[in-house]
Amino acid sequence: MNWVNAVIQGVMLGGLYALFACGLSLLFGVVRVVNLAHGDFAVLAAYLALVVITATHVPALLTFVIVAPLFALFGYGVQRLIIQKSLEVSPLTTLLVTFGLSVVIQNALLVFASADSHSFDVGRLTSASLRVTPELSIAYVSLLIFFTAVIVLVGLQLFLSNTAMGRSIRAAADDQEAAAIAGVNTRHVFGVAAAIAFATVALAGLALGTYSSFDPSAGPPRLIYAFEAVIIGGVGSLWGTLVGGIILGVAQTVGGQIDPSGGVLAGHLVFLAVLALRPQGLIRARLAA
Amino acid sequence: MTEAPALLELTGVSKRFGRITVADNLSLSFRAAEMVGIVGPNGAGKSTLFAMIAGDVTPDAGELRFDGRSVIRLDPAARCRMGIARTYQVPRPFENMTVFENLLVAAFRGGQVPRQSGFALAANLLEETGLSQDANRPAGRLGLLQRKRLELARGLATQPRVLLLDEVAGGLTDPEVAQLVAIVDQVRRRGVAVVWVEHVVHALTSAVSRLICLAGGRLIAEGTPDDVLANPEVKEVYLGADYGAEADWGKGVGD
Repeated sequence: MNWVNAVIQGVMLGGLYALFACGLSLLFGVVRVVNLAHGDFAVLAAYLALVVITATHVPALLTFVIVAPLFALFGYGVQRLIIQKSLEVSPLTTLLVTFGLSVVIQNALLVFASADSHSFDVGRLTSASLRVTPELSIAYVSLLIFFTAVIVLVGLQLFLSNTAMGRSIRAAADDQEAAAIAGVNTRHVFGVAAAIAFATVALAGLALGTYSSFDPSAGPPRLIYAFEAVIIGGVGSLWGTLVGGIILGVAQTVGGQIDPSGGVLAGHLVFLAVLALRPQGLIRARLAA
Repeated sequence: MTEAPALLELTGVSKRFGRITVADNLSLSFRAAEMVGIVGPNGAGKSTLFAMIAGDVTPDAGELRFDGRSVIRLDPAARCRMGIARTYQVPRPFENMTVFENLLVAAFRGGQVPRQSGFALAANLLEETGLSQDANRPAGRLGLLQRKRLELARGLATQPRVLLLDEVAGGLTDPEVAQLVAIVDQVRRRGVAVVWVEHVVHALTSAVSRLICLAGGRLIAEGTPDDVLANPEVKEVYLGADYGAEADWGKGVGD
């Protein structure tokens, strides 16, 4: 029964990873930017939520109503004012710029918020769980995060396939110059894609602070897991991102079951195995189809 | 041809890439409902001319007016929304999207048509350009002819008033070209100015009412197709610069 438990917890953890990864996947798939500050933006969103909680006393789980839209606006601004500019210099410049952002965010948080670790107070929900069998129970927090990830990914997929803006995003991802001569304002469209990516980053940051804890340096490890989820699933595939997150999560929990200190290592090994045997990822790229 | 006001007007346009001059003080104008052909040897500046009109390349000097307004500072997307459509010599469909979706993007963004009529417009264009069978296929899986048709259809979906066709006939058989010409001619009748660049001269001569010959970025001759083809300077420049075009040239004269 311990194994079943490990797998179920791994699937739930995979939801968190997928939530982290989908913004990364979207930004890479559409704007062709590897956002090295992705994890740090998530942590920044978590701190923003702390500020919101302190200022307004809204319950932690409801802060997304404020934080996600703010982050969407922030993402649009970051894309238009920083990433787009560096993209027009050269694609490699974006790596330097987002790495720089990562350093700046971490150190700014250290200065303004100290190195203390924080987590969100969600009251009784912290320890409440759904008891499936006497030996198997799933924390409500985990379930909440998992279904948030599924809803976000399904919603994103529907948005990309069925709306005019979604089609414009896919067209710009496919061929930026051809999209422009079809009348698509690609800078605006990239801004919208970044806004969506940042809104999901904000959700990921809130999920992180609810599931475990965060401090100014919590971003980069999350970035690694997000990368691994994206690559396991297949770059540019939203379903792949969910699958990749779940595989990574299960590998970590099952690995941890074998050896309590081997969880993270097991995750990396599965990632390396996929990279070696199926570098295109498990699911064919479908962001645009 | 009565002198209607020019829909698209280039004045003194120049462009150099390093030491190569691709446009040398070019002044051209195009009116609504006319089909104009542009010929010239490789490197004459034909594709660059289109790139400058569509906004992908900024001229070093000169003015570009569309419907009386200067558009020289507008980006390609804005020019497209104003009514300047361009097709690429090598078709560039959105490969991961279906053929229908390709047209929807162009209709909603470039054509700025409202929701329901956008779907109707795209569906009509599928019919008109012979793409109905392929509507739901990813554009990346199309063959050359269908790609050329899609390139044309996507240009038309932006509801253009000026349509720039860059070698749509290249690689197609004569009957296939005739089909495309028929589609384009219908569009012209609705008042669209069609500017057609083609390396294969004989495909053009029967379709256009005016022919322009460029070489080295300069205007060599302009007039009716027969006059331009008979122009000795045109013959010399064209054949001298690109001997391989002789076969095409012969056909053009013989038509």
